[in-house]
Amino acid sequence: MLLNFHMLGWWRWALGAVCALVAAFLLLPILFIIALSFGDSRWLIFPPPGWTLKWYEELFSDPRWLDAAFTSFKVAAVVAVLSVILGFLASMALVRGTFRGRAFLRGFFLMPMVMPVVVLAIALYATFLWLGIAGTFVGFVLAHLVIALPFAIIAISGALEGFDKSIEDAAILCGASPWEARLRVTLPSIKHGLFSAAIFSFLISWDEVVLAIFMASPRLQTLPIKVWGTLRQDLSPVIAAASTLLIALTVALMVLAAFTRKGKKQ
Amino acid sequence: MTTPFLHINGIRKTFGDVVATDHVELKIAEGEFMTFLGPSGSGKSTTLYILAGFQEPTAGDILLRGKTLLKTPSHKRNIGMVFQRYTLFPHLSVGENVAFPLRVRRTPADEVQRRVKRALELARLQGFEDRMPANMSGGQQQRVALARALVYDPPVLLMDEPLSALDKKLREEIQHEIRRIHQETGVTILYVTHDQEEALRLSDRIAVFNKGRIEQVGTGPQLYNSPASHFVADFVGDSAFLTAEFTRASGGTADLRFADGTEVRGVPLHGADPKGRAELMLRPERIRLVPQPGAGPSLPVTIADITFLGNVTSILARTSWGEEVGIRLPFGHPMASGLAPGAQTQIEWDAASAHAFAARAH
Repeated sequence: MLLNFHMLGWWRWALGAVCALVAAFLLLPILFIIALSFGDSRWLIFPPPGWTLKWYEELFSDPRWLDAAFTSFKVAAVVAVLSVILGFLASMALVRGTFRGRAFLRGFFLMPMVMPVVVLAIALYATFLWLGIAGTFVGFVLAHLVIALPFAIIAISGALEGFDKSIEDAAILCGASPWEARLRVTLPSIKHGLFSAAIFSFLISWDEVVLAIFMASPRLQTLPIKVWGTLRQDLSPVIAAASTLLIALTVALMVLAAFTRKGKKQ
Repeated sequence: MTTPFLHINGIRKTFGDVVATDHVELKIAEGEFMTFLGPSGSGKSTTLYILAGFQEPTAGDILLRGKTLLKTPSHKRNIGMVFQRYTLFPHLSVGENVAFPLRVRRTPADEVQRRVKRALELARLQGFEDRMPANMSGGQQQRVALARALVYDPPVLLMDEPLSALDKKLREEIQHEIRRIHQETGVTILYVTHDQEEALRLSDRIAVFNKGRIEQVGTGPQLYNSPASHFVADFVGDSAFLTAEFTRASGGTADLRFADGTEVRGVPLHGADPKGRAELMLRPERIRLVPQPGAGPSLPVTIADITFLGNVTSILARTSWGEEVGIRLPFGHPMASGLAPGAQTQIEWDAASAHAFAARAH
C-alpha cells in the first residue's frame, strides 16, 4: 500500500490535527449557534452567563415565526413530492429512452446545479412577475423545484440504471399493463432512490435563501428569509433558536437518508 | 389440414439495415418442447421476443390456435416467460412473486393461495414462500421464476437461455427439473439456447438458427444423423470436415476424391450445388482405426496426438495434406492400444455415416 495510515509515522499526528481543524471549522459555528439559542444573554454573549428556554418560548409564541416555519415546511413538502414525480418521469426518459439528443436533455435538466443562483433568481423573478405569480406559494414551489429537480433526477436515474428492465418485462408478461408494472414493480424496486430524491429536494427547498429573497412578499416568507430579515432589524437570540430548529430538521432528514441507504445495501 | 397449435408464419424482423430474422416458419404442436438452437445473433432470441410481444415483426404473423397474436399487447397474451437474467421482483417474497400474475388478474384470494401452493410444489419450492429473492441462489431464483410463469396456466411457456448464468452441474440438475415439469404440466415450451447439449437433452424437436434463418428443424437424432447443411453438421455434435472434389453427384449421393488421390463413393449428399469443391463430414465416434484398408471407405493418416479424457480417449489424426480429424474411442478400446503419436495408420468409416456438402465460400 502506497498510503498506509499506520506507516506514516509522525505524519499521522499532523494528518489528524488537520482533520480536527477542518472539522472544527465546519462544526463550531453550528455548535456556537445552538449554544447561544439556550443562553440567557440578550446580547448573544459567549459563553452564555446562564441557560434558558425563553427564546424558544418567544419563537413559538410569535405567529410570524410560526407562519414562516409552516410556509417553509409546506413549500419544501410540495417541492419534494413534485420533484420525485417529475424526477421519475424524466429519469424514465433519460435512462430508458433511445431518442436523439438524450445526453443534451440530461445536461439541460442538470444545468440549474451549475448556474449561478442569483442569475436564476433574477430570471425567475422577471418571469414570475410577468406571469403574476411572484410572491405567491406557487412561485416559491416552482422556483425551488427548478433547483431541486437535478438532484432528484441524479438520485432516481442512478437507481433506475441499477434496475434490470427485464424485471419490468417479466411483470408485463405476468399480465400487468406497462404502467401497472412500473407502479407495482419498478417503483418499489427503486424506492431508495425515490426516498433520497424526496429528502434532498425537501432539504434544498427548506434552507434555500437566494431564490426565496426574490420570491418572498411581506405576507409570505420562508423560515430562512424570516431569519435573514430579523437579523438585519435586531440581533435577537430568537434567531439562534430558529436556526437551531432549521439545523435539527436538516440533521434528522440526513440521518433518515443515511438509514435508507443502509437499508438498500442489505 | 388441421390448424397448427402455434404457427410462426414467415417472421421477418429488420433493425435498420440489419436483418435479425428472415422467413422464420415453424409449426409447433400442443405440448411440444421446441428448442431454438443457434449462435448469438442468429435470430433465435428475436423470434422469442416477437412471440412475447416485446418486438414487432417487420413482416409475418404469429398464430395461436389459428388466431393472430400480434394485435394483442404483451400483458394480454397470457404467455409465460423465464428470462436469461434473474427477474424476480426484489421487493416481494417468493410467495408474493408467484402470486403476482394472479393478483393482477384479480383472482380470488383463496384460489391464489391454492394455485401458488401448487406451483411451488411443482417447482419443488415448498417452504420457501417467505424467502426474499436476494437470499436465494441463482438456481432457486430461476425455479421461482418458472413457478411464477406457470401459475396462471399459460398455453405457451417461453424460456430465453434461463440456465446460462448457472454452473454446469446446477444447469444439468435444473434441466432435469424442466423436463419433469414439462411432462407433468404438458405445457408447450419454446426454449432458446446456444448450448447444443442442452438442446439435445431437453427437446422434442430443435430448430437450428443461423443468420436469421432456420437451417433445419428436427429431432435431436435427425439433426445429428442427417444434418441438412454444413452449418447444422458443424453446430450439432462434434465433427471433422475434410476438403475434397466432387467426381459425381446425383440422386442424393456423391463420389469424392481427396487431395492424395483417395476416392470414396456413395456418400450421402446434402444441400444444393454439388459441383467443384466438397467437404466430407465425419463424426469422431463413427471413425475406426485400422492397420490396412478394408471394405469400407478409408484414408491413410498419421497420429498427431492422443488425449485421455476419462471414459473416452480422444485421438487427433492428420491427413497427408495436413487436415486434422478427431477420433473418439471408448477407454481401453483395442484399436487405441499400441498407438503413439507419429504412427502411420488408416481411418475407416461406413459410407452411410459420412455426409458430403458443397464447400462453403470463404
